[in-house]
Amino acid sequence: MTLTATVFASTNVKPNDAKAHSLLMHDRTSNREGALNETPTVYGSVEPGAAAGDIDISLLEESLRLSPWERMLANDDALNFGASLCAAMERRNAKP
Amino acid sequence: MQNLSELLRRLIAAEVEFILVGGFAAVAHGVTLVTRDVDICCRFTDANLMRIQRAFADLHPVHRSRPDLPLDLTKEQCASLKNLYIRTDLGVVDCLGEILGVGGFDEVAKHGVEVDLPGGKCRLLDLDALIRAKEAMGRDHDRITVKHLQEIQKRQARN
Repeated sequence: MTLTATVFASTNVKPNDAKAHSLLMHDRTSNREGALNETPTVYGSVEPGAAAGDIDISLLEESLRLSPWERMLANDDALNFGASLCAAMERRNAKP
Repeated sequence: MQNLSELLRRLIAAEVEFILVGGFAAVAHGVTLVTRDVDICCRFTDANLMRIQRAFADLHPVHRSRPDLPLDLTKEQCASLKNLYIRTDLGVVDCLGEILGVGGFDEVAKHGVEVDLPGGKCRLLDLDALIRAKEAMGRDHDRITVKHLQEIQKRQARN
């Protein structure tokens, strides 16, 4: 569950936000000619008013619903997820 | 594999006298920015530093700035230390004798709030003091952390 939250954190979309899901899915598949058209992932909030300054409020609220210990475990998950992504990129870049 | 939570659990289990500060304390308060180490403010007595050493003994602890140097503190060394930076198999722990913007251990301890964790009770720096400490550090990521902490503070004041 935490990993999912982390993945969604990278796109600033809440896991249970069906509207946001559909928006992203539409972006990835819509195409005038019918071929797959990968448009850039939407970064930043898709919910008007969800961000206050530099802070994504929906993510902050999600975090505040957790206990301190759950937040710490989520940090560990995010840290290790990031490390595994970096390792994968290094492996990819090392290929001839 | 990093496991900052386990490092914290070990400090609690070893009865180290410390206050959790820095990014991991901010995470515990609700900040959503990922942090890479555990920062604690602790009493720099030889007994307390030896407890820290014992807590990480099986995690191949080394001095962070000298990874070739295993952590093998003597009482004489403890007496001269102001800070202690440790790298272990599970991550980095920075042990600080003083926190910029707050003060030494006794002053920091006055601003400790207790939280119940599965491993026992842990004291972490309260929001006001953590904001002061982060403002005093003044790095870019500290300024962003301050914005998060201030937003959390606003929400707590409303509730």
